[in-house]
Amino acid sequence: MTMDPVCRQIRVDILDASRESGHGHIPTCFSIVEMAYASYQVMRHDPKNPAWNERDIFILSKGHASLGLYCVLARLGYFAIERVKTFGAFMSDFGCHPDRLKVPGVEVSTGSLGHGIGVGVGMALAFKISKSPRRVFCLIGDGEANEGSVWEAVMVAVDRKLSNLTILYDSNASQMRCMHLAAPAGRFKAFGCDTVEVDGHDAGALAKALKAASDRPRVLVADTKKGFGCKTLVENVYEWHRRSPTEQEHKMLLAELNAQTI
Amino acid sequence: MRKQFKATVSELAAKDDKLVLILGDISVYLFNDFKQKHPDRFYNMGICENTLISAAAGLSSQGFFPFVHTIAPFITERSFEQIKDDMCYNQFGGNIVSIGGSFDYAWDGATHHCYTDLGILRMLPGMEVLQPGSAKEVDILVRKLYRNGKPTYFRLSDNPHAIDVPCEFGKGVVLKEGRSGLTVMTAGPLLGNVLEACRDLDVNLVYFHAIKPIDKDVILKFKDSEILVVHDAWGLYEAVCSIGNLSASYHGIPQDQFCTWYGKVADVRKMIGLDPASIREIVSHKIRSGPQAAK
Repeated sequence: MTMDPVCRQIRVDILDASRESGHGHIPTCFSIVEMAYASYQVMRHDPKNPAWNERDIFILSKGHASLGLYCVLARLGYFAIERVKTFGAFMSDFGCHPDRLKVPGVEVSTGSLGHGIGVGVGMALAFKISKSPRRVFCLIGDGEANEGSVWEAVMVAVDRKLSNLTILYDSNASQMRCMHLAAPAGRFKAFGCDTVEVDGHDAGALAKALKAASDRPRVLVADTKKGFGCKTLVENVYEWHRRSPTEQEHKMLLAELNAQTI
Repeated sequence: MRKQFKATVSELAAKDDKLVLILGDISVYLFNDFKQKHPDRFYNMGICENTLISAAAGLSSQGFFPFVHTIAPFITERSFEQIKDDMCYNQFGGNIVSIGGSFDYAWDGATHHCYTDLGILRMLPGMEVLQPGSAKEVDILVRKLYRNGKPTYFRLSDNPHAIDVPCEFGKGVVLKEGRSGLTVMTAGPLLGNVLEACRDLDVNLVYFHAIKPIDKDVILKFKDSEILVVHDAWGLYEAVCSIGNLSASYHGIPQDQFCTWYGKVADVRKMIGLDPASIREIVSHKIRSGPQAAK
Protein backbone atom coordinates (compact mmCIF):
# COMPACT_ATOMS: atom_id res chain seq x y z
CA MET A 1 0.00 0.00 0.00
CA THR A 2 1.24 3.50 -0.81
CA MET A 3 0.41 6.75 0.90
CA ASP A 4 -2.63 8.50 -0.56
CA PRO A 5 -1.17 11.12 -2.94
CA VAL A 6 -3.36 13.90 -1.54
CA CYS A 7 -2.23 13.02 1.98
CA ARG A 8 1.37 13.07 0.81
CA GLN A 9 0.83 16.53 -0.70
CA ILE A 10 -0.80 17.72 2.55
CA ARG A 11 2.35 16.62 4.39
CA VAL A 12 4.47 18.55 1.90
CA ASP A 13 2.27 21.58 2.57
CA ILE A 14 2.76 21.14 6.32
CA LEU A 15 6.53 20.98 5.95
CA ASP A 16 6.55 24.02 3.65
CA ALA A 17 4.34 26.10 5.96
CA SER A 18 6.36 25.10 9.01
CA ARG A 19 9.63 25.94 7.27
CA GLU A 20 8.33 29.29 6.05
CA SER A 21 6.62 30.35 9.28
CA GLY A 22 9.08 29.06 11.83
CA HIS A 23 6.27 27.31 13.72
CA GLY A 24 4.76 23.87 13.77
CA HIS A 25 3.81 20.75 15.62
CA ILE A 26 4.87 18.66 12.62
CA PRO A 27 4.80 15.14 14.15
CA THR A 28 1.29 15.52 15.56
CA CYS A 29 0.08 17.12 12.31
CA PHE A 30 1.45 14.19 10.32
CA SER A 31 -0.36 11.89 12.73
CA ILE A 32 -3.81 13.26 11.88
CA VAL A 33 -3.57 13.82 8.11
CA GLU A 34 -5.43 10.70 6.96
CA MET A 35 -8.03 10.97 9.76
CA ALA A 36 -8.91 14.55 8.91
CA TYR A 37 -8.82 13.96 5.16
CA ALA A 38 -10.93 10.79 5.35
CA SER A 39 -13.49 12.57 7.54
CA TYR A 40 -14.03 15.20 4.88
CA GLN A 41 -14.34 12.46 2.26
CA VAL A 42 -17.44 11.11 4.02
CA MET A 43 -18.83 14.38 5.38
CA ARG A 44 -21.43 16.51 3.66
CA HIS A 45 -19.71 19.86 3.23
CA ASP A 46 -19.16 22.57 0.65
CA PRO A 47 -15.81 24.38 0.57
CA LYS A 48 -17.42 27.21 -1.38
CA ASN A 49 -20.12 27.60 1.25
CA PRO A 50 -18.57 26.78 4.64
CA ALA A 51 -21.72 27.96 6.45
CA TRP A 52 -24.02 25.62 4.48
CA ASN A 53 -26.72 24.78 6.99
CA GLU A 54 -26.89 21.09 6.07
CA ARG A 55 -23.17 20.45 6.49
CA ASP A 56 -21.65 17.88 8.79
CA ILE A 57 -19.27 19.13 11.47
CA PHE A 58 -15.59 18.34 12.01
CA ILE A 59 -14.04 19.41 15.32
CA LEU A 60 -10.28 19.29 15.81
CA SER A 61 -10.28 18.98 19.59
CA LYS A 62 -6.48 18.62 19.71
CA GLY A 63 -6.10 22.15 18.42
CA HIS A 64 -2.29 22.05 18.40
CA ALA A 65 -2.56 20.06 15.15
CA SER A 66 -4.15 23.09 13.52
CA LEU A 67 -1.53 23.28 10.76
CA GLY A 68 -2.58 19.80 9.65
CA LEU A 69 -6.24 20.85 9.54
CA TYR A 70 -5.43 24.07 7.65
CA CYS A 71 -3.52 22.13 5.00
CA VAL A 72 -6.38 19.62 4.64
CA LEU A 73 -8.92 22.43 4.29
CA ALA A 74 -6.71 24.22 1.76
CA ARG A 75 -6.38 21.12 -0.40
CA LEU A 76 -10.18 20.69 -0.23
CA GLY A 77 -10.61 24.22 -1.59
CA TYR A 78 -11.61 26.24 1.48
CA PHE A 79 -8.80 28.75 0.88
CA ALA A 80 -5.46 29.04 -0.91
CA ILE A 81 -2.54 27.17 0.61
CA GLU A 82 -0.42 30.32 0.33
CA ARG A 83 -2.47 31.91 3.11
CA VAL A 84 -1.49 29.12 5.49
CA LYS A 85 2.17 30.04 5.17
CA THR A 86 1.54 33.04 7.42
CA PHE A 87 1.00 30.41 10.14
CA GLY A 88 1.52 31.78 13.64
CA ALA A 89 2.51 35.27 12.47
CA PHE A 90 1.23 38.51 13.95
CA MET A 91 -2.12 39.39 12.29
CA SER A 92 -2.31 36.04 10.48
CA ASP A 93 -5.68 34.27 10.51
CA PHE A 94 -3.88 30.96 10.86
CA GLY A 95 -2.78 30.54 14.46
CA CYS A 96 -1.03 27.64 16.15
CA HIS A 97 -4.47 26.81 17.52
CA PRO A 98 -7.49 27.36 15.25
CA ASP A 99 -9.97 30.23 15.54
CA ARG A 100 -13.37 29.53 14.02
CA LEU A 101 -14.03 33.24 13.51
CA LYS A 102 -10.93 33.58 11.31
CA VAL A 103 -10.58 30.40 9.27
CA PRO A 104 -13.35 29.12 6.96
CA GLY A 105 -14.15 25.50 7.75
CA VAL A 106 -13.00 25.64 11.36
CA GLU A 107 -16.12 24.90 13.39
CA VAL A 108 -14.84 25.28 16.95
CA SER A 109 -11.93 27.32 18.28
CA THR A 110 -9.85 24.86 20.27
CA GLY A 111 -6.56 24.77 22.11
CA SER A 112 -7.15 23.84 25.70
CA LEU A 113 -7.56 20.07 25.60
CA GLY A 114 -10.71 18.20 26.52
CA HIS A 115 -13.34 20.57 25.15
CA GLY A 116 -14.18 19.21 21.69
CA ILE A 117 -16.31 16.20 22.56
CA GLY A 118 -18.43 18.22 24.99
CA VAL A 119 -19.22 20.84 22.36
CA GLY A 120 -19.78 18.05 19.85
CA VAL A 121 -22.28 16.47 22.24
CA GLY A 122 -24.29 19.69 22.17
CA MET A 123 -24.16 19.86 18.38
CA ALA A 124 -25.16 16.23 17.99
CA LEU A 125 -28.00 16.78 20.46
CA ALA A 126 -29.14 19.81 18.45
CA PHE A 127 -29.28 17.67 15.29
CA LYS A 128 -31.25 14.96 17.11
CA ILE A 129 -33.76 17.48 18.42
CA SER A 130 -34.10 18.94 14.92
CA LYS A 131 -34.43 15.43 13.42
CA SER A 132 -31.58 16.36 11.10
CA PRO A 133 -29.31 13.75 9.46
CA ARG A 134 -26.28 15.94 10.13
CA ARG A 135 -23.31 14.28 11.84
CA VAL A 136 -20.48 15.40 14.10
CA PHE A 137 -16.90 14.13 13.84
CA CYS A 138 -14.50 14.97 16.65
CA LEU A 139 -10.79 14.19 16.53
CA ILE A 140 -9.06 13.92 19.90
CA GLY A 141 -5.54 13.03 20.94
CA ASP A 142 -4.50 10.21 23.22
CA GLY A 143 -2.69 12.71 25.44
CA GLU A 144 -5.87 14.75 25.49
CA ALA A 145 -7.64 11.69 26.88
CA ASN A 146 -5.77 12.32 30.15
CA GLU A 147 -8.38 15.04 30.67
CA GLY A 148 -11.38 13.97 32.74
CA SER A 149 -13.70 16.13 30.67
CA VAL A 150 -13.14 13.77 27.71
CA TRP A 151 -14.63 10.85 29.60
CA GLU A 152 -17.36 12.96 31.16
CA ALA A 153 -18.51 13.99 27.69
CA VAL A 154 -18.25 10.41 26.38
CA MET A 155 -20.53 9.25 29.22
CA VAL A 156 -23.12 11.88 28.30
CA ALA A 157 -22.89 10.97 24.60
CA VAL A 158 -23.52 7.32 25.40
CA ASP A 159 -26.30 8.11 27.85
CA ARG A 160 -28.03 10.23 25.19
CA LYS A 161 -27.42 7.60 22.48
CA LEU A 162 -25.80 10.14 20.18
CA SER A 163 -25.38 7.87 17.19
CA ASN A 164 -24.61 10.91 15.05
CA LEU A 165 -21.36 11.55 16.95
CA THR A 166 -18.13 9.91 15.83
CA ILE A 167 -14.91 10.28 17.81
CA LEU A 168 -11.56 9.75 16.10
CA TYR A 169 -8.95 8.80 18.69
CA ASP A 170 -5.41 9.56 17.57
CA SER A 171 -3.61 6.65 19.19
CA ASN A 172 -0.02 7.73 18.55
CA ALA A 173 1.47 6.86 21.94
CA SER A 174 2.15 10.49 22.72
CA GLN A 175 2.02 9.91 26.46
CA MET A 176 4.54 7.10 26.80
CA ARG A 177 6.66 9.27 29.12
CA CYS A 178 3.65 10.38 31.15
CA MET A 179 0.22 8.72 31.54
CA HIS A 180 -0.15 6.42 28.56
CA LEU A 181 -3.63 4.93 28.26
CA ALA A 182 -3.14 1.30 27.36
CA ALA A 183 -5.85 -0.52 25.40
CA PRO A 184 -7.95 2.54 24.59
CA ALA A 185 -10.47 0.57 22.54
CA GLY A 186 -11.36 -1.46 25.61
CA ARG A 187 -11.88 1.72 27.58
CA PHE A 188 -14.26 3.22 25.02
CA LYS A 189 -16.11 -0.11 24.76
CA ALA A 190 -16.45 -0.20 28.53
CA PHE A 191 -17.99 3.26 28.41
CA GLY A 192 -20.59 1.94 25.95
CA CYS A 193 -19.27 3.25 22.62
CA ASP A 194 -19.39 1.35 19.36
CA THR A 195 -15.64 1.03 18.98
CA VAL A 196 -13.47 -0.13 16.11
CA GLU A 197 -9.72 -0.17 15.69
CA VAL A 198 -8.34 0.95 12.38
CA ASP A 199 -5.05 1.81 10.70
CA GLY A 200 -4.95 5.58 11.14
CA HIS A 201 -2.81 6.08 8.05
CA ASP A 202 -5.02 4.08 5.69
CA ALA A 203 -7.36 6.73 4.28
CA GLY A 204 -9.53 4.11 2.57
CA ALA A 205 -9.99 2.01 5.68
CA LEU A 206 -10.73 5.13 7.72
CA ALA A 207 -13.37 6.32 5.24
CA LYS A 208 -15.03 2.89 5.28
CA ALA A 209 -15.10 2.87 9.09
CA LEU A 210 -16.43 6.44 9.19
CA LYS A 211 -19.34 5.59 6.89
CA ALA A 212 -20.62 2.77 9.09
CA ALA A 213 -23.85 3.50 10.94
CA SER A 214 -24.42 2.73 14.60
CA ASP A 215 -27.05 3.08 17.27
CA ARG A 216 -24.50 4.60 19.66
CA PRO A 217 -21.62 7.05 19.60
CA ARG A 218 -18.94 5.54 17.44
CA VAL A 219 -15.23 5.63 18.23
CA LEU A 220 -12.45 4.92 15.76
CA VAL A 221 -9.30 4.09 17.67
CA ALA A 222 -6.80 4.99 14.98
CA ASP A 223 -3.38 3.42 15.20
CA THR A 224 -1.06 6.22 14.15
CA LYS A 225 2.55 7.34 14.31
CA LYS A 226 3.69 10.80 15.19
CA GLY A 227 5.62 12.11 12.22
CA PHE A 228 4.31 9.37 9.93
CA GLY A 229 5.91 9.67 6.52
CA CYS A 230 9.33 10.91 7.64
CA LYS A 231 11.73 8.49 9.31
CA THR A 232 13.56 11.29 11.12
CA LEU A 233 10.37 12.61 12.71
CA VAL A 234 9.13 9.16 13.77
CA GLU A 235 12.45 8.33 15.39
CA ASN A 236 12.91 11.69 17.11
CA VAL A 237 9.41 12.63 18.20
CA TYR A 238 10.31 14.62 21.30
CA GLU A 239 13.04 16.62 19.59
CA TRP A 240 10.63 17.57 16.79
CA HIS A 241 7.55 18.10 18.95
CA ARG A 242 7.37 21.82 18.37
CA ARG A 243 10.05 22.94 16.01
CA SER A 244 10.42 24.17 12.46
CA PRO A 245 12.95 22.64 10.06
CA THR A 246 16.02 24.47 8.85
CA GLU A 247 16.49 24.73 5.08
CA GLN A 248 18.67 21.64 5.08
CA GLU A 249 16.30 19.68 7.32
CA HIS A 250 13.39 20.74 5.16
CA LYS A 251 15.06 19.21 2.09
CA MET A 252 15.88 16.07 4.03
CA LEU A 253 12.32 15.66 5.31
CA LEU A 254 10.87 16.20 1.84
CA ALA A 255 13.22 13.57 0.48
CA GLU A 256 12.22 11.13 3.20
CA LEU A 257 8.55 11.84 2.55
CA ASN A 258 8.87 11.31 -1.20
CA ALA A 259 10.74 8.06 -0.67
CA GLN A 260 8.11 6.78 1.71
CA THR A 261 6.15 3.67 0.86
CA ILE A 262 3.93 2.08 3.44
CA MET B 1 -36.82 32.91 42.66
CA ARG B 2 -36.37 29.31 41.56
CA LYS B 3 -40.13 28.87 41.20
CA GLN B 4 -40.28 32.04 39.16
CA PHE B 5 -37.45 30.81 36.96
CA LYS B 6 -39.42 27.62 36.38
CA ALA B 7 -42.61 29.53 35.60
CA THR B 8 -40.90 31.96 33.23
CA VAL B 9 -38.89 29.34 31.37
CA SER B 10 -41.90 27.03 31.08
CA GLU B 11 -44.00 29.81 29.61
CA LEU B 12 -41.25 30.76 27.17
CA ALA B 13 -40.64 27.14 26.15
CA ALA B 14 -44.30 26.73 25.18
CA LYS B 15 -43.83 29.38 22.53
CA ASP B 16 -40.18 28.87 21.62
CA ASP B 17 -39.15 25.46 20.30
CA LYS B 18 -35.49 26.51 20.36
CA LEU B 19 -35.41 26.76 24.16
CA VAL B 20 -33.61 23.78 25.74
CA LEU B 21 -33.23 23.07 29.45
CA ILE B 22 -30.14 21.27 30.79
CA LEU B 23 -30.07 20.37 34.48
CA GLY B 24 -27.13 19.16 36.52
CA ASP B 25 -29.39 16.97 38.66
CA ILE B 26 -30.80 19.93 40.56
CA SER B 27 -34.38 21.30 40.63
CA VAL B 28 -35.43 18.14 38.79
CA TYR B 29 -38.84 17.68 40.44
CA LEU B 30 -39.54 21.37 40.05
CA PHE B 31 -39.34 20.92 36.28
CA ASN B 32 -41.50 17.79 36.03
CA ASP B 33 -44.13 19.65 34.03
CA PHE B 34 -41.51 20.94 31.63
CA LYS B 35 -40.21 17.42 31.17
CA GLN B 36 -43.69 16.10 30.43
CA LYS B 37 -44.48 18.85 27.94
CA HIS B 38 -41.11 19.06 26.20
CA PRO B 39 -39.33 15.72 26.56
CA ASP B 40 -37.07 16.45 23.61
CA ARG B 41 -35.91 19.71 25.16
CA PHE B 42 -35.39 18.59 28.77
CA TYR B 43 -32.09 17.02 29.76
CA ASN B 44 -31.15 16.14 33.30
CA MET B 45 -27.72 15.48 31.90
CA GLY B 46 -25.78 14.43 34.97
CA ILE B 47 -23.38 15.74 37.58
CA CYS B 48 -20.87 16.82 34.96
CA GLU B 49 -20.73 20.59 34.96
CA ASN B 50 -17.92 20.91 32.42
CA THR B 51 -19.93 19.00 29.85
CA LEU B 52 -23.13 20.85 30.71
CA ILE B 53 -21.48 24.10 29.60
CA SER B 54 -19.74 22.61 26.56
CA ALA B 55 -22.94 20.93 25.41
CA ALA B 56 -24.88 24.17 25.87
CA ALA B 57 -22.29 25.89 23.68
CA GLY B 58 -22.75 23.20 21.05
CA LEU B 59 -26.53 23.59 21.14
CA SER B 60 -26.15 27.34 20.88
CA SER B 61 -23.89 26.96 17.84
CA GLN B 62 -26.79 25.32 16.04
CA GLY B 63 -29.40 27.96 16.82
CA PHE B 64 -30.81 26.77 20.13
CA PHE B 65 -31.17 28.85 23.31
CA PRO B 66 -29.98 26.63 26.16
CA PHE B 67 -30.50 27.14 29.87
CA VAL B 68 -27.98 25.33 32.07
CA HIS B 69 -29.08 25.13 35.68
CA THR B 70 -27.26 23.81 38.71
CA ILE B 71 -25.43 24.90 41.88
CA ALA B 72 -23.33 28.07 41.69
CA PRO B 73 -19.77 26.98 42.62
CA PHE B 74 -19.88 23.91 40.42
CA ILE B 75 -21.19 25.56 37.27
CA THR B 76 -19.03 28.69 37.54
CA GLU B 77 -15.81 27.99 39.43
CA ARG B 78 -15.44 24.39 38.23
CA SER B 79 -16.49 25.19 34.67
CA PHE B 80 -14.81 28.57 34.30
CA GLU B 81 -12.65 27.45 31.38
CA GLN B 82 -15.61 25.92 29.52
CA ILE B 83 -17.47 29.21 29.93
CA LYS B 84 -14.38 31.14 28.80
CA ASP B 85 -13.50 29.00 25.77
CA ASP B 86 -16.66 27.24 24.62
CA MET B 87 -19.11 30.07 25.22
CA CYS B 88 -17.23 33.38 25.28
CA TYR B 89 -14.24 32.82 22.95
CA ASN B 90 -16.28 30.82 20.47
CA GLN B 91 -19.19 33.26 20.76
CA PHE B 92 -21.64 30.43 21.39
CA GLY B 93 -24.05 32.08 23.80
CA GLY B 94 -26.26 30.47 26.39
CA ASN B 95 -27.91 31.01 29.73
CA ILE B 96 -26.27 29.80 32.92
CA VAL B 97 -28.67 29.88 35.85
CA SER B 98 -27.26 29.08 39.26
CA ILE B 99 -28.74 28.56 42.67
CA GLY B 100 -26.88 28.64 45.98
CA GLY B 101 -24.69 31.70 45.51
CA SER B 102 -22.71 33.25 48.38
CA PHE B 103 -23.87 31.55 51.60
CA ASP B 104 -27.29 30.23 50.57
CA TYR B 105 -26.00 26.75 51.43
CA ALA B 106 -24.20 27.94 54.54
CA TRP B 107 -24.78 24.65 56.32
CA ASP B 108 -22.87 22.74 53.63
CA GLY B 109 -19.61 24.50 54.30
CA ALA B 110 -17.02 26.25 52.18
CA THR B 111 -17.12 23.84 49.23
CA HIS B 112 -20.71 24.96 48.64
CA HIS B 113 -20.16 28.67 49.25
CA CYS B 114 -19.75 30.76 46.12
CA TYR B 115 -18.73 34.41 46.19
CA THR B 116 -16.25 34.55 43.31
CA ASP B 117 -18.74 33.74 40.51
CA LEU B 118 -19.80 37.30 39.73
CA GLY B 119 -16.23 38.58 39.96
CA ILE B 120 -14.63 35.99 37.69
CA LEU B 121 -17.38 35.90 35.09
CA ARG B 122 -17.48 39.68 34.67
CA MET B 123 -13.88 39.50 33.45
CA LEU B 124 -14.79 37.33 30.46
CA PRO B 125 -15.25 39.24 27.18
CA GLY B 126 -18.83 39.22 25.97
CA MET B 127 -20.29 37.84 29.20
CA GLU B 128 -23.37 39.31 30.84
CA VAL B 129 -23.60 38.89 34.63
CA LEU B 130 -26.93 39.32 36.40
CA GLN B 131 -27.81 39.10 40.06
CA PRO B 132 -31.57 39.48 40.35
CA GLY B 133 -32.72 39.95 43.93
CA SER B 134 -36.38 38.98 43.66
CA ALA B 135 -38.77 36.83 41.65
CA LYS B 136 -39.97 39.85 39.73
CA GLU B 137 -36.43 40.69 38.67
CA VAL B 138 -35.82 37.10 37.55
CA ASP B 139 -38.89 37.18 35.34
CA ILE B 140 -38.05 40.51 33.70
CA LEU B 141 -34.37 39.80 33.11
CA VAL B 142 -34.76 36.23 31.83
CA ARG B 143 -37.43 37.26 29.33
CA LYS B 144 -35.33 40.17 28.17
CA LEU B 145 -32.01 38.39 27.71
CA TYR B 146 -32.35 34.66 27.12
CA ARG B 147 -32.49 34.89 23.33
CA ASN B 148 -29.82 37.51 22.69
CA GLY B 149 -27.13 34.98 21.75
CA LYS B 150 -24.69 36.12 24.44
CA PRO B 151 -23.31 34.08 27.31
CA THR B 152 -25.43 35.25 30.23
CA TYR B 153 -25.16 34.34 33.89
CA PHE B 154 -28.21 34.60 36.13
CA ARG B 155 -27.42 34.08 39.79
CA LEU B 156 -30.62 33.09 41.62
CA SER B 157 -31.12 32.74 45.35
CA ASP B 158 -33.55 30.97 47.65
CA ASN B 159 -33.33 34.02 49.93
CA PRO B 160 -34.72 36.90 47.84
CA HIS B 161 -35.33 40.38 49.17
CA ALA B 162 -38.98 41.46 49.50
CA ILE B 163 -38.65 44.91 48.00
CA ASP B 164 -40.47 45.93 44.84
CA VAL B 165 -37.68 47.58 42.85
CA PRO B 166 -38.02 48.88 39.29
CA CYS B 167 -36.15 46.54 36.97
CA GLU B 168 -34.73 47.48 33.61
CA PHE B 169 -31.71 45.63 32.17
CA GLY B 170 -28.51 47.56 32.68
CA LYS B 171 -30.08 50.26 34.82
CA GLY B 172 -29.14 50.78 38.45
CA VAL B 173 -31.84 52.03 40.76
CA VAL B 174 -31.52 54.97 43.16
CA LEU B 175 -33.60 53.91 46.14
CA LYS B 176 -32.90 56.93 48.29
CA GLU B 177 -30.88 60.12 48.25
CA GLY B 178 -29.36 61.85 51.27
CA ARG B 179 -27.07 64.77 52.10
CA SER B 180 -24.22 63.15 54.01
CA GLY B 181 -22.02 62.63 50.96
CA LEU B 182 -22.03 58.88 51.44
CA THR B 183 -23.45 56.53 48.79
CA VAL B 184 -24.12 52.90 49.63
CA MET B 185 -24.19 50.54 46.65
CA THR B 186 -25.38 46.94 46.69
CA ALA B 187 -26.80 44.21 44.47
CA GLY B 188 -29.00 41.13 44.69
CA PRO B 189 -30.81 39.70 47.70
CA LEU B 190 -28.60 41.50 50.22
CA LEU B 191 -30.63 44.63 49.44
CA GLY B 192 -33.07 43.45 52.11
CA ASN B 193 -30.46 43.81 54.84
CA VAL B 194 -28.93 46.96 53.37
CA LEU B 195 -32.23 48.80 53.06
CA GLU B 196 -33.25 47.78 56.57
CA ALA B 197 -29.92 49.10 57.84
CA CYS B 198 -30.04 52.38 55.92
CA ARG B 199 -33.74 53.15 55.77
CA ASP B 200 -33.56 56.16 58.12
CA LEU B 201 -29.89 57.03 57.60
CA ASP B 202 -28.85 60.11 55.64
CA VAL B 203 -27.22 58.31 52.68
CA ASN B 204 -27.73 57.69 49.00
CA LEU B 205 -28.64 54.07 48.26
CA VAL B 206 -28.09 52.54 44.83
CA TYR B 207 -29.13 49.04 43.81
CA PHE B 208 -27.94 46.97 40.83
CA HIS B 209 -29.47 43.91 39.16
CA ALA B 210 -26.59 43.71 36.70
CA ILE B 211 -22.90 43.43 37.58
CA LYS B 212 -22.09 43.46 33.86
CA PRO B 213 -22.96 45.62 32.09
CA ILE B 214 -22.68 47.91 35.08
CA ASP B 215 -24.73 51.10 34.93
CA LYS B 216 -21.98 53.69 34.58
CA ASP B 217 -24.39 56.58 34.49
CA VAL B 218 -25.78 55.95 37.94
CA ILE B 219 -22.27 55.56 39.36
CA LEU B 220 -21.17 58.81 37.72
CA LYS B 221 -24.19 60.52 39.25
CA PHE B 222 -22.60 59.87 42.65
CA LYS B 223 -18.92 60.15 41.63
CA ASP B 224 -18.28 63.06 43.95
CA SER B 225 -19.61 61.25 46.99
CA GLU B 226 -17.88 58.68 49.15
CA ILE B 227 -18.97 55.26 47.87
CA LEU B 228 -19.35 52.22 50.11
CA VAL B 229 -20.09 48.95 48.30
CA VAL B 230 -21.86 46.51 50.62
CA HIS B 231 -22.11 43.10 48.97
CA ASP B 232 -21.93 39.40 49.81
CA ALA B 233 -19.66 38.54 46.87
CA TRP B 234 -16.77 39.84 44.81
CA GLY B 235 -17.54 41.55 41.53
CA LEU B 236 -19.75 44.53 42.25
CA TYR B 237 -16.99 46.51 43.94
CA GLU B 238 -14.59 45.83 41.06
CA ALA B 239 -17.30 46.80 38.56
CA VAL B 240 -17.96 50.08 40.39
CA CYS B 241 -14.24 50.85 40.63
CA SER B 242 -13.84 50.25 36.88
CA ILE B 243 -15.27 53.73 36.43
CA GLY B 244 -12.06 55.18 37.84
CA ASN B 245 -11.26 58.21 39.99
CA LEU B 246 -13.80 57.26 42.62
CA SER B 247 -13.38 57.24 46.36
CA ALA B 248 -14.79 53.81 47.04
CA SER B 249 -14.44 51.12 49.69
CA TYR B 250 -15.88 47.66 50.22
CA HIS B 251 -17.61 45.87 53.05
CA GLY B 252 -18.49 42.21 52.68
CA ILE B 253 -16.44 39.09 52.04
CA PRO B 254 -13.42 38.84 54.36
CA GLN B 255 -10.00 39.15 52.73
CA ASP B 256 -8.07 35.93 52.07
CA GLN B 257 -10.05 33.67 54.34
CA PHE B 258 -12.67 30.94 53.93
CA CYS B 259 -15.94 31.37 55.80
CA THR B 260 -15.95 27.99 57.45
CA TRP B 261 -18.95 28.44 59.71
CA TYR B 262 -22.02 26.27 59.18
CA GLY B 263 -25.59 27.32 60.00
CA LYS B 264 -27.95 29.44 57.93
CA VAL B 265 -27.26 32.28 55.55
CA ALA B 266 -28.23 34.76 58.28
CA ASP B 267 -25.63 33.24 60.61
CA VAL B 268 -22.77 33.68 58.15
CA ARG B 269 -23.93 37.14 57.15
CA LYS B 270 -23.91 38.16 60.81
CA MET B 271 -20.47 36.64 61.32
CA ILE B 272 -19.00 38.76 58.52
CA GLY B 273 -20.92 41.91 59.33
CA LEU B 274 -23.62 41.74 56.70
CA ASP B 275 -26.63 41.55 59.02
CA PRO B 276 -28.73 44.76 59.21
CA ALA B 277 -27.31 45.83 62.60
CA SER B 278 -23.67 45.45 61.51
CA ILE B 279 -24.26 47.22 58.20
CA ARG B 280 -26.01 50.04 60.05
CA GLU B 281 -23.11 50.41 62.43
CA ILE B 282 -20.55 50.61 59.62
CA VAL B 283 -22.60 53.05 57.55
CA SER B 284 -23.33 55.21 60.61
CA HIS B 285 -19.64 55.28 61.48
CA LYS B 286 -18.76 56.47 57.98
CA ILE B 287 -21.40 59.19 58.14
CA ARG B 288 -20.09 60.38 61.51
CA SER B 289 -16.47 60.25 60.42
CA GLY B 290 -16.95 62.12 57.18
CA PRO B 291 -15.65 61.38 53.71
CA GLN B 292 -12.11 60.31 54.73
CA ALA B 293 -13.42 57.44 56.84
CA ALA B 294 -14.51 55.52 53.79
CA LYS B 295 -10.97 55.29 52.42
